[in-house]
Amino acid sequence: MIKLQNVNKYFYRGEPREVHALRDINLIIEAAEFTLFRGPSGCGKTTLLNVIGALESCDSGEIFLKEREITALSEEERTKLRLHEMGFVFQAYNLIPVLNVEENIGFVMRLRSFSEEEIKQRVLEVATLLKIDDKLKSLPNALSGGQQQRVAVARAVAAKPKIILADEPTANLDSKNSEILIGMMRELNEREGISILFASHDELIMRSVTRVLTLIDGAVADDYKQ
Amino acid sequence: MFKLALKNTLFYKGRSITTAVLTFASTILFILYISLLNGSHKSMLENSLKIYTGAIEIYHKGYRDIGGNEYLIQDVKAITDKLAKIDAIEAYSSRYETYGLLSNKEHSAAAMVAGIEPKREKILSSLESALREGSFLDENSANCLYMGIELAKKLKLGIGDEVAFIGSASDGSFAADIFRVCATFKTGSFEFDSSASFITRSYFDELMYAKNRASYITIKLKNIEDAEEVNSQIITMIDDESLESLTWKILMKNMVESMEIDAVFGYISLSLFMVVIFFVIMIYGFINVSSRIKGFGILRCIGLSKRDVFLLLFYEILILTILATALAAPIAAYICYYYSINPIVIEGIADMYKDYGIISNEIPFDFNLVTFGWNLGVIYLLNFLSILYPYMYINSFGPFEATRHV
Repeated sequence: MIKLQNVNKYFYRGEPREVHALRDINLIIEAAEFTLFRGPSGCGKTTLLNVIGALESCDSGEIFLKEREITALSEEERTKLRLHEMGFVFQAYNLIPVLNVEENIGFVMRLRSFSEEEIKQRVLEVATLLKIDDKLKSLPNALSGGQQQRVAVARAVAAKPKIILADEPTANLDSKNSEILIGMMRELNEREGISILFASHDELIMRSVTRVLTLIDGAVADDYKQ
Repeated sequence: MFKLALKNTLFYKGRSITTAVLTFASTILFILYISLLNGSHKSMLENSLKIYTGAIEIYHKGYRDIGGNEYLIQDVKAITDKLAKIDAIEAYSSRYETYGLLSNKEHSAAAMVAGIEPKREKILSSLESALREGSFLDENSANCLYMGIELAKKLKLGIGDEVAFIGSASDGSFAADIFRVCATFKTGSFEFDSSASFITRSYFDELMYAKNRASYITIKLKNIEDAEEVNSQIITMIDDESLESLTWKILMKNMVESMEIDAVFGYISLSLFMVVIFFVIMIYGFINVSSRIKGFGILRCIGLSKRDVFLLLFYEILILTILATALAAPIAAYICYYYSINPIVIEGIADMYKDYGIISNEIPFDFNLVTFGWNLGVIYLLNFLSILYPYMYINSFGPFEATRHV
């Protein structure tokens, strides 16, 4: 489903401080995989997640989502691709502070012009699954970190994307909340067939995923399924 | 997007209050300033037109540039019959102006003596209200002279005194008579008050052999704004190549130019103020946007396009501008309306103004909905422009880069 061919990414290219963030990445990720990119800090796992998520462009190589080459897309097309095909979960929750939980979860659906009825139904469904259905009218700052991250996951899955990209989703959570969150994401992965890609060095996530890719200095050092 | 913008304006209270207050203040100030500027110009013009010059005047071509008896209008009635048919004209009158020598036993002075129709002048001009002493002319005033107060002082004449006039009649023959000073006037214009005097036309026509002839015909309109339109109508109706019909814009070219210059400087000084307001609004918007870069990054990551970001900023400023102008416009409009019917009187210079005779010491505001409309348009435009730089600043970050912005 996602195919990367000879992907290279540099930061500060041509400068003395140049960093070769991704080195000749060749990778195929099948639909509904539950995958982790792991490795030490600075190994390129977040950058890999970003280039797959069309948030950053690569300097060479191609990335295909299904048969579509996303590296050839314009910025506007990449924005549309993110809106229609992808969901994002960030380390710092990154909810919209002025919207309540219900509005945050339904935000992407509204951008995609789902009907109000569909949004209401889906928001309730996802919120129930993630056990935040009693917090729908609360503002993000009234929730705990674990609850906020569940809202972020709910927002990412509500519009039924093909892929969810989660960058260190458990970094700000305690182990109990991390376990709950990963369990829920696993359930979403199995139940809704969404590919979920993590960038993390959390052992808990490593134990839960079905595939682990280890990156070292921007290159894939190890790739195994479990 | 609109709902999010609305919530943002409620959430970021500091920026919202600052923007709304600045917009409110600048709207009120802008409307009042333009209203006062237009009102004072209008008043200045009306005052000047009231004194003597008409909204439109008809001349024989050459009279204004060369002058002389050969450039007199020869058939006044033929023209006034046509003018009587134009609804937009409130009043008209012909004037016969000549220059001659006025002398008493000891003093002489060159002066303009004009034959006027007193009854019509009462409607047309403020000559009657400029009266300082004696009584204004009427159709039977015979050789009564209505003299400028400065001219009377120059000749050391008082009411009832006699003064000899020597001039040239309309056919070029010698004209002379003894006039009696019946009244003096003061318009506030020294030049006018020291050189002009008036006499009833019926008497003057006999002396000057000027029956049905005139130097020009002066016209007062029901609405001064219609001057250009009515002037075109007059030109078409009189259909005489030897005549020219001119509006006050030509007749009072110097005043119009000075008003235009005044307006330009007024607009420039106001523009400087508006630029300051604009930058303050923009800077507050920019500071607010800077603190929200991370939020915009998240929105861009999850699929908000650049257009949506622009719309978000646009809606935010639109909401604040609507709120501020909805409060400011009625207040400013009410103030303009109030002072248009109760003009401001500048107390400090009231006495001085009164000493200037008929020149008003009142400065009215101009209550004009079209002016309010473009004033509000400018405020909206400035506020919309104020989001451009913050918008460009947001777009200088990539979506992911923006999420990491501190």
